[in-house]
Amino acid sequence: MTAPQDLSSSQLVRLVAGREVATRIRDKGFIISSVVILLVIVAAVVIQVVTGSGDEESRVGLVGGDASVVTALEAQGEALDVDVEVVELGDEAAARTAVDDEDVDGALLVGDDAELLVRESAGGTLEAIVQGAVGQLAITEQLTEAGISELDVPEVAVTALDADAAADGQRVAAAVFGVVILYSLLILFGQFIAQGVVEEKSSRVVELLLATMRPWQLLAGKILGLGLLALGQIVTIGVVAVVAALAFDIVEVPGDLISTVAIVIAWFVLGYAWYAAVFAVAASLVSRQEDLATVLMPTSMVLIVAFFIGIQAASDPGGLLARVTSYIPGLSPLVMPVRQAAGEVALWEIALAVVLMVLAIVLVVRLGGRIYSGALLRTGGKIKMREALAAERA
Amino acid sequence: MLEFDGLHKSFGEVRVLEGVGFTVAPGSMFGFCGSNGAGKTTTMRIAMGLVRPDAGEVRWHGRPLDQASRRRVGYMPEERGLYPKMKVGEQVAYFARLHGLDAAAATKASADWVERLGLGPRRDEQVEKLSLGNQQRVQLAAALVSRPEVLILDEPFSGLDPVGVDSLADALLGQVREGVPVVFSSHQLDLVERLCDSVGILARGRMVATGTVEELRRREAGRLLRVVVPDAAPGWADGLGGARVVSEQAGDTLLELTPDTDDQSVLGAALRTGRVTHFAWQQPTLVELFRGAVAAPSTEEVAA
Repeated sequence: MTAPQDLSSSQLVRLVAGREVATRIRDKGFIISSVVILLVIVAAVVIQVVTGSGDEESRVGLVGGDASVVTALEAQGEALDVDVEVVELGDEAAARTAVDDEDVDGALLVGDDAELLVRESAGGTLEAIVQGAVGQLAITEQLTEAGISELDVPEVAVTALDADAAADGQRVAAAVFGVVILYSLLILFGQFIAQGVVEEKSSRVVELLLATMRPWQLLAGKILGLGLLALGQIVTIGVVAVVAALAFDIVEVPGDLISTVAIVIAWFVLGYAWYAAVFAVAASLVSRQEDLATVLMPTSMVLIVAFFIGIQAASDPGGLLARVTSYIPGLSPLVMPVRQAAGEVALWEIALAVVLMVLAIVLVVRLGGRIYSGALLRTGGKIKMREALAAERA
Repeated sequence: MLEFDGLHKSFGEVRVLEGVGFTVAPGSMFGFCGSNGAGKTTTMRIAMGLVRPDAGEVRWHGRPLDQASRRRVGYMPEERGLYPKMKVGEQVAYFARLHGLDAAAATKASADWVERLGLGPRRDEQVEKLSLGNQQRVQLAAALVSRPEVLILDEPFSGLDPVGVDSLADALLGQVREGVPVVFSSHQLDLVERLCDSVGILARGRMVATGTVEELRRREAGRLLRVVVPDAAPGWADGLGGARVVSEQAGDTLLELTPDTDDQSVLGAALRTGRVTHFAWQQPTLVELFRGAVAAPSTEEVAA
């Protein structure tokens, strides 16, 4: 047997973190919640695909005619934002069957007089496409007959005044989605941390732990261990969401989506550090799981408020409410990602929000760490923060 | 030597410890007695760094205990503490690691101790599923798994059945034989008397008596004399000079003699009443010593 060694702070923190990860990863609650969150995301993607604003499609049967008809039909479809698929059919009988079977939306019989076969009614778009194509072909034919081969039609230049609007919309949608995930994970892991702290207090194991380490090492280990799990989870979610969005072709600009996901993850790290510390410190004030809800209430309320402001910010990212709250520590992790995604935020604003948030984390860890130290060995009812601070030096 | 030296502690207005001190030699067992609330737990918590003393310190090998040296101390808190949902083997291994064993050594030591304390078949069960007695064994395993140099145990015997008491006593005597100083607190004075090389009695924040059980006895002995005179009339000893009747029942008389009183004159007086079936100095039990020490604030305040 090797001789026992003294342990450094980082070794102790790692031991605590390792235990948190090892126990949590086998915990049913954790596994179920992880699976549920992933399923929700997959479901959200599927719903996007099903109800999605993907382009309209139309299958047109074609009897007779040459390649120019096919080209003309497709060109018309493109102009009207419809994916036209041309199916060449043998004769009129085959065309009738195809239309009857709803194999095609309509069938065009090209002859001296072009005829469009449809089942009930053509519908505006289909008729417009076919009409346009046939018309164009006729014009081209007549022009050719008249000896004009190249007609110089001036093309209209299109200048979009708000070219980014579509991309902005997608980024904001992604950010809102991210805020929902962020909120769920903060609540979930905040609960995990709080339950863990109370478990150690109520089982009195904390006395044995504190005989071997300092309170801040225990606190740091717990936050770090669960934090790694949380980070792993949000990164997984991010990757799954990006891959799914790309695979199903939901987004137009993949780079924008990835940067939004990265922003959300970065804010998650800051938000987690703050909320985890606050939840842990609050939980250290009670000794029974039953009392937990009461002490976590104020912090949970802040988180809920932040969540709703974040959602609201999506519709008004430049508004006063969103601007002010995106600097306030505790609220900023759920508001700033939305503003950043909407692209209406200056670099200094982001920097300010990050600095304030980091300061708040330092403050909570230092002050909260003292409350935590003072409260850990006191059992019984709910301890007042002031008492815990006074007891810290005892 | 494990030295507790001049410990003072107040919680607000309440002065819990007022100069508690005693020493425990390596390879000896020290029984720490005192009424409820006397300050035993506070003393032990100070040793473990869980409570900061207002004055005084606890030394091991002449150096004050700090976080590093406390890692070499096995501790059992009064309020037992284990992770309820953690498996027995993993839990004991985790505590071994917190005391500085590497992963492989911790796993091995955990398996050894779990086996030695008869918990082998329970190794993969969650602690909360075990009986209280078995949980107590896990607690002991957690204290012993890192081969501590010192053992500090707060009420280790409470809640154990007689078989459990015996096996814990064996385990502790085994540690003592290996040269570990063991301090434990207990209300079971018969146990303390049986197991401990020395005893300390704490009352009102001070040590009112410390020493071997023999020493304490000798200090109290020579004062109480038991004389059984079946034929004597009640009140036979009332007139004896230098002797006070403590109790008398059907001739079974307990006398407290002043130091200069000759016991042979008492014997003479007894013989004059008829038969004397018992005449001996009373050996006080630890319980009697304890009562005497704790009850009377003025006498024999042997603060260290």
